[in-house]
Amino acid sequence: MLIDIQNLVKDYQMDSVDVAALRGINLQVQKNEFVAIMGPSGSGKSTLMNILGCLDNPTSGVYRFNNTDVTGLNDDELSDIRNKHIGFIFQSFNLLKRMSALENVELPLMYAGIDKAKRMAMSKQALEKVGLADRMKHRPSELSGGQRQRVAIARALVNNPGMILADEPTGALDTTSSMEIMDVFKQLHTEGNTIIVITHEREIAACCKRIILIRDGLITSDTPNLN
Amino acid sequence: MQQIRDNITKAILSLIDHKFRSFLTILGIIFGTASVIAMISIGEGTKKQAIAKYQDLGVSNIIIRDKDMTDAELQTVRMKFSKGLSVEDAKVISDVVPGVVSVSPQSEMKMEAKVGDRSAKASVIGVTPNIVSILNYRTAKGDFLTTDQYDRQLKVCVLGASIARELFSYDEPVGKSVKVEDQWFEVIGVMQPKALFTETVGELASRDLNNDIYIPLSTFNKRIPKVNPFTSDVKQLTVKLGNSEQLLPAAVVVRSLLNRRHFNNDDFSIIVPYELMKQEEKETRIYNLLLLSIAAISLVVGGIGIMNIMLASVLERTQEIGIRRAVGGKKKHIMSQFVTEAVVLSVAGGIIGVILGVTLSLVISWTTAVQTTITLYSILMAFSFSVIVGITFGYLPAKQAANLRPIESIRHE
Ligand SMILES: Nc1ncnc2c1ncn2[C@@H]1O[C@H](COP(=O)(O)OP(=O)(O)OP(=O)(O)O)[C@@H](O)[C@H]1O
Ligand SMILES: [Mg+2]
Repeated sequence: MLIDIQNLVKDYQMDSVDVAALRGINLQVQKNEFVAIMGPSGSGKSTLMNILGCLDNPTSGVYRFNNTDVTGLNDDELSDIRNKHIGFIFQSFNLLKRMSALENVELPLMYAGIDKAKRMAMSKQALEKVGLADRMKHRPSELSGGQRQRVAIARALVNNPGMILADEPTGALDTTSSMEIMDVFKQLHTEGNTIIVITHEREIAACCKRIILIRDGLITSDTPNLN
Repeated sequence: MQQIRDNITKAILSLIDHKFRSFLTILGIIFGTASVIAMISIGEGTKKQAIAKYQDLGVSNIIIRDKDMTDAELQTVRMKFSKGLSVEDAKVISDVVPGVVSVSPQSEMKMEAKVGDRSAKASVIGVTPNIVSILNYRTAKGDFLTTDQYDRQLKVCVLGASIARELFSYDEPVGKSVKVEDQWFEVIGVMQPKALFTETVGELASRDLNNDIYIPLSTFNKRIPKVNPFTSDVKQLTVKLGNSEQLLPAAVVVRSLLNRRHFNNDDFSIIVPYELMKQEEKETRIYNLLLLSIAAISLVVGGIGIMNIMLASVLERTQEIGIRRAVGGKKKHIMSQFVTEAVVLSVAGGIIGVILGVTLSLVISWTTAVQTTITLYSILMAFSFSVIVGITFGYLPAKQAANLRPIESIRHE
């Protein structure tokens, strides 16, 4: 099992008042699943995703990733997991402004300690995969929203993490660009990657094989998508 | 290694992206480094100048001067049996005081020297030929006075560099004659220029040695009449010791010897240039230390400047840090990124500061009377100090950047 979550709770402290963002989540995800997470605003989707991506710690509960208990790991070990096993994609792209597309994609490889020549080759390959072979030298400001998100996808998959987490990847994009992004995800899925996508849009969720609904910090429905 | 090289390239690119801000950041380091170098150069230059002055007086010499006195004082002293400084005193010191290598007596008189229609005030000094080895006298042209000329009381002279120029302009002085008051002297040599000593050394009044005219003491005593019959035979004895350790004991012996011979009239003074030099060195050391600490403080202030701007830069780049952490950057990576930036900044500041400091020292040397000496150690010290300051003050912001929580910094706008 890739992801095994038991009774996961996340509280935020706001001015000495505890806000319960997640109130006991149980979730299992197998390798090569294609999952959509849906739910109203403020229901805890991003909170869950950040914990799945080892960007944040739960208040209580168990999170086993690849059969290791992630909650017991230190900062460096978590960084290593983010670097080698998880590709994270954000709604706001989160590219580094002053770097070219290619340099942005190289970033995870640099932290993995891979040498320059190999980094260049791998990054070019990743950019080709998302259809941006001719935009490598461009800075984010010189790219369209859809192109930026594809750079972010290239960055997420460049280190062959096996799992891609995307928090509203199409939230800032028009329909055409959104569908292009989803095509890339479908392709990655057929190549054997596990993909989890947060979305508000039915059309996006329709691309996935399993749909999870979250409301007030709890999973209220978890169904396979048969079409 | 690869990591470090990447880091440095990245840091340089990031700093170039913010040229103006980077420049402002290192301004403090630049001025700090430059002032450390300038201060040390001035200190070293002053020291060298001071040492040169004492070396002209001889670092293993004792100088005994006949005190300047009014006619009335002179008369009193003579009535109390002192003959004043004399050639016999020189002989006794040479025979009795341990460690003495040689003694040279000299007489002095300010006189008008003339060549054709040119004239100048000069100090006419009657000396013995052994003064050459005692005071390290060197001629630029011709020769110094010889024993033979001394014994025969010849009317020959050696001119100081300035007086030679004044009297002869660009003509060749050697072989020509100079008229001193109403006597003619043949010029047999011209001295090399000597360090000016513009300040009084101990009880030795400042004077320009380049204005001296040296003649044999024997000739002086025979040809130049005393203004006052009571004036001592000799104005100064220069006593050369084997080495500087013997100076102080010898000075004690000389004092008691002369006190006895002069019937405790206190009509002479003893100057030990080496002791004065050490004294002055000590004083300038304290002064230099003071200057240096002011410069060091400005370097530290420069370091605080770096810290300030680095902190601002960490704040501004919070999101970047979050992104780097999200894709797998560890604390140590973030840390080294920011420390590298601080180091690159301070190295750049240090290099520019060194250039500025060296230039400043040279300009000071050229445009003012202050002599500066640029030393390698001052450059190395200032440079390494500036780098240390940069690293030290770059550390805190880097630490802060590394400790940001990934998810919060990503959300930071
Ligand atoms: N850093 C935080 N500090 C305090 N409360 C927070 C923080 N982040 C989220 N919350 C709260 O936790 C709850 C869940 O937030 P979360 O961002 O997970 O919602 P979401 O489902 O992703 O919503 P959206 O669809 O609008 O993105 C919300 O009530 C939110 O106010
Ligand atoms: Mg969200």
